[in-house]
Amino acid sequence: MANIALPAPRITDASGHYDLSILDNPRARSYYRRFDGILIIVLFSFLALGISIHYALTAGDWDYWIDWRDRRWWPLVTPLSLMMFIGGFVYPIWKAFRLPVIATAVTTLLCLVSWVSRYFNFGQFTDFPLSFTFPSTYIGLGVIFDSVLIMTRSLLISAIVGPFLFGALIWPLNWPLFAASKVPVEYSGTLVSVADLMGYQYIRTTTPEYLRIIEESTLRTFGGSVTPLTAVFSAFVAVIGYSLFLLLGAALYNFAGRYARRII
Amino acid sequence: MSEVKAAQYGYEVPTDYMEETAAGGGLAGHLRRNRLAYIGGALLLAVGIGIRIYQQMMSFSVGMDFYEPEFQTYWMPLLYGEVIVLGSIMVLGSIYMWMTREKDAASITPEVELKRYFTLLGVFTVLGVWAALIGALAVESDAAWHQVAIRDTDFTPTHIVIFYFSLPLLTAILIPTFIWAHTRIPAFMNRISVPFLGVVAGIFMIMPNYGFNEWGHTFFYAEELFAAPIHWGFVVLGWSLFFLGPLAVQLIQRMAQLISVVTTGRDCMIADR
Repeated sequence: MANIALPAPRITDASGHYDLSILDNPRARSYYRRFDGILIIVLFSFLALGISIHYALTAGDWDYWIDWRDRRWWPLVTPLSLMMFIGGFVYPIWKAFRLPVIATAVTTLLCLVSWVSRYFNFGQFTDFPLSFTFPSTYIGLGVIFDSVLIMTRSLLISAIVGPFLFGALIWPLNWPLFAASKVPVEYSGTLVSVADLMGYQYIRTTTPEYLRIIEESTLRTFGGSVTPLTAVFSAFVAVIGYSLFLLLGAALYNFAGRYARRII
Repeated sequence: MSEVKAAQYGYEVPTDYMEETAAGGGLAGHLRRNRLAYIGGALLLAVGIGIRIYQQMMSFSVGMDFYEPEFQTYWMPLLYGEVIVLGSIMVLGSIYMWMTREKDAASITPEVELKRYFTLLGVFTVLGVWAALIGALAVESDAAWHQVAIRDTDFTPTHIVIFYFSLPLLTAILIPTFIWAHTRIPAFMNRISVPFLGVVAGIFMIMPNYGFNEWGHTFFYAEELFAAPIHWGFVVLGWSLFFLGPLAVQLIQRMAQLISVVTTGRDCMIADR
């Protein structure tokens, strides 16, 4: 163990406690490169698993099917779900490493695993067409979120502005992907969207129509103000969801990120 | 990196064992240094792809009904095998790690300690490969299955793959790894890393939630909503991954010291906190 003091029981702010001139040493840099490479693989892999489980079980249904991606619930549920997971990781990665990358990393990893999953699981395994089950995109929102953090360098301001934009812009970002499925068509004398028609054709045996929590109202319209109203509400909900999980991440870092005395 | 070049930077570099130089340079050296990650990762990749192909071929043909004789032939032996193999890895691995624990922490040199940190990261890398496979191939396969299968029976092909193999494999490797780290790495010896424990315990506690989930499934003919409350336990326990951030900080704090000592002969920590 030589004469090196062991790390303190509690994690403290690492910056300012280390002599960074060590980084001038090529051998040290070589070790750090190896460490960085491994850490990126490990962190990103587990982030991919984490967001995959978290997102599937909190927002999955709204993102699996194009006919579920409505103007009322999908733009409300998905940003909240993503903001919760992102919030839990931002604090330690920003505090210790000053890396504003979590939102971009999480949304990009979600995009990657979702495409692989939709192709192999929904396409090859259960024979749903990709045009019916393709994933939405959130990468642009992740970039905006991280940009707010790096431009303000403030966890407080970014906790208000970042999630607000994340929730408010989710629909316009995805509109080019969804537009074709929202085209109105007449089906047996009833006005429906192309997405609805696909839902009728590709029967999901365990999602009968009465269980869908989408577009609940007496009159469905293709215009109106549903989308912007939902966007504003979603933005506020995202701010609250993110802030709570930012606090959770901070608590884990500051209070649970320690060494405890052995009890056995 | 020659000693002359090191001298150019004004450091007195130790000349004894250096893992970087011992393994050699170039691609061969890289592969040798990271052989645990590459071999373990390739092995798990093969296992993951293999079991996914089996699931693809056997789920709808012989896996629709637990009470069919084909199910007993093609799926139940897989379930029993998974339980036996993973249980053995976890129990025997944990016993082995404890019985072969380091007795004298003071004899561990900084070079050996640093090497053990990289071994620990190598195991995490292998598990990372598995984690990515679960995220991409396993999680939503259960959702897709339930949207076309009319109802669940006592056991379900996708559950046999996810609940009884994919996620428990993480636990089966993480628990012996936790014991290994806490009996061989000085920063962890005689105390417990709370974030490390949080990651291990959270993933382990998903298993009792399988019981709740399977019990809940007995109430339903169908799984109407994937985001149903019966699944929320998985989400909460999945949040144990939030401990990865603090754990990464714990690792890098000690590794920064070790890298400094091993490469320059001095501790890079400036102030005692």
